[in-house]
Amino acid sequence: MERWTQVNLFKVSVILRKEWLEMFKNKYVMLMTTLLPLLFVVLPLGFLFITGRPDAKMSGLEDIANAPAFAGMDPRAAAQILLIQQFMFYFLMMPLIIPVYVASYSIIGEKQQHTLEPLLATPITVTDLLLGKALSAFIPAIGVTWLAYLVYAVIARFLTSFTVWKYIVSPIWVLAIVLLGPLLGILAINVGVIVSSRVNDVRLAEQISGLLVLPVVLVGLPLTAAKILVSWPMFVAGLAAVLALDVVVLWIAVRLFKRETILTRWK
Amino acid sequence: MIHTEGLTKTFDGRIAVDAINLDVKEGEVFGFLGPNGAGKTTTVRLLSCLIGPTSGRAWVNGFEVGKQDMDIRRSVGILTETPGLYDRLSAEKNLIIFADLYEVPPDVRDKQVRRYLEMMGLWDRRNEMVAGFSKGMKQKMAIARALIHNPKVLFLDEPTASLDPEASRVVHEFIQGLRSEGHTIFLCTHNLDEADRLCDRIGVMKQKLITVDSQANLRRSLYGRKVVLQVTSITPEIIAAIKALPFVKAVDRSDGALTIALDKPEEQNPILVRTVLQAGGEIQFLSEMKHSLEDIYFSLIGQGEAGG
Repeated sequence: MERWTQVNLFKVSVILRKEWLEMFKNKYVMLMTTLLPLLFVVLPLGFLFITGRPDAKMSGLEDIANAPAFAGMDPRAAAQILLIQQFMFYFLMMPLIIPVYVASYSIIGEKQQHTLEPLLATPITVTDLLLGKALSAFIPAIGVTWLAYLVYAVIARFLTSFTVWKYIVSPIWVLAIVLLGPLLGILAINVGVIVSSRVNDVRLAEQISGLLVLPVVLVGLPLTAAKILVSWPMFVAGLAAVLALDVVVLWIAVRLFKRETILTRWK
Repeated sequence: MIHTEGLTKTFDGRIAVDAINLDVKEGEVFGFLGPNGAGKTTTVRLLSCLIGPTSGRAWVNGFEVGKQDMDIRRSVGILTETPGLYDRLSAEKNLIIFADLYEVPPDVRDKQVRRYLEMMGLWDRRNEMVAGFSKGMKQKMAIARALIHNPKVLFLDEPTASLDPEASRVVHEFIQGLRSEGHTIFLCTHNLDEADRLCDRIGVMKQKLITVDSQANLRRSLYGRKVVLQVTSITPEIIAAIKALPFVKAVDRSDGALTIALDKPEEQNPILVRTVLQAGGEIQFLSEMKHSLEDIYFSLIGQGEAGG
């Protein structure tokens, strides 16, 4: 009998190596893994550059500065922080989007190439297989997210005031990127596994899994519209919600990712 | 090498494999025949621990299915219905990945990879992506992958399906080579000619295992032995003389020839020839009637259906 607690790191590394060898040969996945972070870094930096110029005109500055969250703050800095907050949510969307591309190709690719049966016939546990596949999507997604945030934070220091920059690297956002990002990544991978087990088309799997970003957008947009900044209670509540979702979705993914289920029930 | 006792598998109440009892000896090529949906692939999946039995027990290479699955997986190789290769990886990388998963030490692995790629005539193309390979090349690659860890038991599911005659011949020669190396081969095939040429024994299955025996024994038990005698002119005297022989079981006349059922043609043919000559017949041809494996197969499947 296989136990979920038994992990053979060598086998996990073999799967990881195999996944990455395939990933590097897949131009579409490579493009998505590099283009998206680049876009999410360039957009806010461009915004900071344009709005940071002395001659830049911004409307509604007084309105924003009068909001309780920005009391006593320079109106231009207040407006920049409010809009920058929306861009900060992009960094939480990255670990949701990138693993979906990698995981969908990883699992549906196996189905399309009919490689699951010979793979499952080897002396590998499904834990090692799932872990190898999950890590192959998780590591690049989180690595790219953290790297993009680091690049953004460093360059932003030269494009904006210290007040605005302090918000970009505030503990709440650093913790969000460092803690919430990986939890969102785990969520995306498990949703990717569940969706990929039911469909045979990579694009369809991406579209279905892509719906995951909606909650993040739905949290970010109203906050900006209401001129409210993310607070610690909100952060803790978000963290707890994602953690709970992770547990539920992981439970479903593990139930689906069984040798016999994969061979006889996956379509 | 393979032993099953009442091995059964059901899917949502539908019986796929019904209480089969099977013994496959070490070093033999065992042909597993049956129509589509007969449960051949399910049996292979059960024996290679890809799925678990609903009831019954099975042992492969001394290890019990369901209890020592990892040991079984280490000691068997499987060629699935489709080659199932990583198209974006090179031929060499495909084999290395699987050798690592089968825990082959790196020095042995590299020698095995080279050995099988050379044997399959693919060494010069080892760095090419498998996506560009022909069906035959992919099938050879899949066989090489099934052998990369030098398994004692090899399950081959339709190894020559969709291959051209040339590639099929290569695979047949390869299977014969493996038999001489002492591998036990469990061959699922629809190609009856292939089974006839390669297998020591065959099992015919349709959910239940209908029979297991060598082709020669099956021919004997189903049809007995018959010789076909062609004479220039068949007369009632010739037929009467043949029927009078004590060892002749039956005589049929059709298409200008006589089909005569007897037990030991090697000993009885000379007496038969003398009798025909004495009765005034002139013999043109005398040959033993060979029932093809196809005849045997359909006869057995018919028996299986009649028996429920």
